Amino acid sequence: MLSDSNTPYQTFTNAFRQNLPENIQASVLERAENFSGNNQQADLIVTLGFKAADWVIERTVTPVLAVMIPSTKYVELLGKQTRTRQVSAIYIDQPLARQVDLLHAALPESRSIGMLYSSESPVNLKKLQNELARYSLNLVAKHMQNEESLSSDLEDVLARSDVLLAVPDSKIYSSNNIRNILMSSYRQRIPLVGLSQAYVNAGALCAIFSTPEQFAAQASVMTILFAQTLHLPDPQSPKLYTIAVNQDVARSLSITIKSTELLHLQVEKAGGAP
Amino acid sequence: MKKIFGLSHLLFMAVCGLIAQCVFTQCTWAADNSSEQDYLQEFPVVLSASRLSQPLSEAPNAMTVIDRKMIEASGFRSIPDLFKLVPGMYVSYYSGNQAVVSYHGTLSQAAPGMQVLIDGRSVYLPPFNIVNWPLLPITIDDIERIEVIRGPAAASYGENSVHGVINIITRDAGAINGGGISNTRGNKGINDASVHFGKHGEALDYRMTLAYTTDNGYDNLSTPPNGMTLSQAASDINNSYDNNQSRLMNFRASWHPNAMDDFNVQLGFNHDVMGVGFRDSSLDKPHDMPVYENTQQFEWVRRADNTSELSLRYYHIQHDTNENYQVTATGASSYPVSDTIKSERNEIELQHILRTSELNRLVYGAGYRQDWVGVSSFDANKNNLPPYSYASSFNFTEYRVFANDEWRVIPKLIINAGGMLENDVMDNKTFSPRASLNYHFTPQQTIRIDTSVAHRTPSLGEQNANQADLYQIGYLYQPGSNTTSAGLTPEKIVSREIGYLGEFKEWNTSLDLRIFNDQMSNVIYPTPNSALFQNGITADYKGIEASIKHLFGNFSDLIFNCTEEWVKSNDVSLNSGQFSSLENGLPKYIVNLLYSQRLPNDLSFSAAYYFQTSMLGVDRGPEDYQPTHRRVDLRLAQPFNGPNGLKGEISGVVQNLFQTDYTEYVSTALFNRRAFVTLSFRWQ
Repeated sequence: MLSDSNTPYQTFTNAFRQNLPENIQASVLERAENFSGNNQQADLIVTLGFKAADWVIERTVTPVLAVMIPSTKYVELLGKQTRTRQVSAIYIDQPLARQVDLLHAALPESRSIGMLYSSESPVNLKKLQNELARYSLNLVAKHMQNEESLSSDLEDVLARSDVLLAVPDSKIYSSNNIRNILMSSYRQRIPLVGLSQAYVNAGALCAIFSTPEQFAAQASVMTILFAQTLHLPDPQSPKLYTIAVNQDVARSLSITIKSTELLHLQVEKAGGAP
Repeated sequence: MKKIFGLSHLLFMAVCGLIAQCVFTQCTWAADNSSEQDYLQEFPVVLSASRLSQPLSEAPNAMTVIDRKMIEASGFRSIPDLFKLVPGMYVSYYSGNQAVVSYHGTLSQAAPGMQVLIDGRSVYLPPFNIVNWPLLPITIDDIERIEVIRGPAAASYGENSVHGVINIITRDAGAINGGGISNTRGNKGINDASVHFGKHGEALDYRMTLAYTTDNGYDNLSTPPNGMTLSQAASDINNSYDNNQSRLMNFRASWHPNAMDDFNVQLGFNHDVMGVGFRDSSLDKPHDMPVYENTQQFEWVRRADNTSELSLRYYHIQHDTNENYQVTATGASSYPVSDTIKSERNEIELQHILRTSELNRLVYGAGYRQDWVGVSSFDANKNNLPPYSYASSFNFTEYRVFANDEWRVIPKLIINAGGMLENDVMDNKTFSPRASLNYHFTPQQTIRIDTSVAHRTPSLGEQNANQADLYQIGYLYQPGSNTTSAGLTPEKIVSREIGYLGEFKEWNTSLDLRIFNDQMSNVIYPTPNSALFQNGITADYKGIEASIKHLFGNFSDLIFNCTEEWVKSNDVSLNSGQFSSLENGLPKYIVNLLYSQRLPNDLSFSAAYYFQTSMLGVDRGPEDYQPTHRRVDLRLAQPFNGPNGLKGEISGVVQNLFQTDYTEYVSTALFNRRAFVTLSFRWQ
């Protein structure tokens, strides 16, 4: 049982349980810190989110499937691992190539992709540049020095970009800052490409992300596979994903954007390939 | 069993319980960045329906948007001039400080029938129902954008949205983080200075502007206009006094304590000193007329989610005009007169925008307004001397309910239908409906067909007229205490139009075409040779408007607007030749063009061309005939980096470059070449 029924974790749990065959017994531990590693009978531990994975990996040798974990954090986690055991992951982040495919599909006329990042943003500029180069897009990346400089740094990026690409960094994209970011970019008539449905609801033009149900589907496939083979597949990016579009924002910015179905098809077809 | 299903027991852990704990125990994990929370966090709805501007192709009316880029490129320093950039809009000046902004030519210098709103509050005020442009407590730099609806829109904006609606949207409270100063100097006494600053924070944004603007208005006419002889035009020569000096302040704050609610406050103050009067007048000698205007506006907006937005707005506007001047009565010695007009408005409006489904959006609400006007006119001893010698006050209330529905029948077809039911200040009950259909026959091309009805309420000045020519602002023509023109009823307009919008991205061009027919009836006019007003004029306006925007690569763009318009009316037979005609009052062609170019080193250049064929204001005599005129304005601006991270810009504007001197609405106002330079710095 989970303490917070509103969170995506609850949705994941329900969907995950429904996906499992009856002969796999699953029990849910709502607080990772209640896990001691002693006397536990599990054959596989599925952790949801980084903190649970981080807690468990130091306390048991049971195989672990870390779901909804940022890929950079997973690498960090592997580095910490002192005991041998099977471990795998489903990353929460979409592959860069897929994000760039969406950028191109949604805004084929954009040339300069703006990005504001901080020292804590998990971004690999070189890799992103390479992905953007597939569509001859150039990256306008600006390093935000501190929170005070957000406005001026943002203004600088917006002045040189056709679209602003969000990064998973709540130092920049926090619920406090999102207002200023969206209002400023809208004033410049520059769309924001977000990372979740919440971004799109707030006023981002579009976003590509995986829902908890989609993570649950992938996690249950991996779990069943493990049940059959006792072997965990390699860590993987989300296989199923959703594209959301804010049509009101698109219309207001006079952007003719394809339907989410068409975008999905185009992203699927591009498949991150050059 | 275990062989087939190696997994007998699965432990599933969720991290949310941990996070909840971290918040309270402040464990080190709370500082851990880049967790999945960066993907899962919730956000407030920011770009809700009221913050998003409607695209032209989906609007139920013909609309022109003047954005900041256009405002800057135009080089204009006063707000009314901006409307020269709108197709079909007539912008002229009775004097340097009294603009005439109207559509369909003019009916009178008061330009009745244009609704003007600043952030939702109507500044079209009694007693004469005019917009006193220099009194607005905002500068041109406070404006984010202006949406101009060409044609009636009473279904959304209420009575008096007859010829069109000017919707000024000022910069958001969070638009400025830092500050700036600016100074403009030029000939004709131009000297403007402003300071602005603002800050956006987590829960509170605010910004403030303090400004001082002054100029000497228009030049005096030194030779007779329009080929007249000196004796015919003696009253026009060297007869203008229209300096203007304004000290204004505005403040805007937005407090958003949670993800749903916004509380907005706007305060404005303007102390304007207008030069009014004429040198040859015995009653109205040149003198200064100080006017105080102050505004308070409070607004609460609740954005529950993407589907519902509720807003409650209250505002208060107060104008105080005090005018002391010397009257030289015929055969008497001169004596001082003290005139005042005070007016106050309180309005409250509740509005709900509701997305009832993915395809349907409903806007409905109700409003209540109260206007109060107090007038007095006395000489120093409160003696019963001309002109009026009395004091009186008037109270009016009006209320309204409205609803508009936008239904996206299929992705290509949008139907808008709605109306406003009003009980106006004169207790007339009117219903103003509207229906429109926008069909995107290709993704880039739209046909719009719409029809609407609007009404204009008679003003107090018309109903209690002291004399027919009473719209003039300076030398306070005051409404009398008695109703002189009883039984006036609202003017009515029925408008039909067909619009075409094309967005040709491959050619970097957009085209906005419109053919319209506006039929006005029951129009109020001054009865010849009396101080009375009456209903009776009908007028049938037909016209075609085109607006083209074209981008030349990334560095230059062009906006081109042109209008041709006709009117048929019974006015000539009614006014016994005492006034000009509606036909004369309508420039047949209006053309304007704005070209902007970005040059190397961030230097920007823009040029504007304004053309208008001849006309004569309906309430003017032959000496005020405005011949066809052309004007070219240029602007050059160079940004630079100042000391200590300051960002600077120096710009220069020349208006009427080729010195094609032309006279305005009244020929005493002569516009010839003027130039000014602006130096500004901003910091963050």
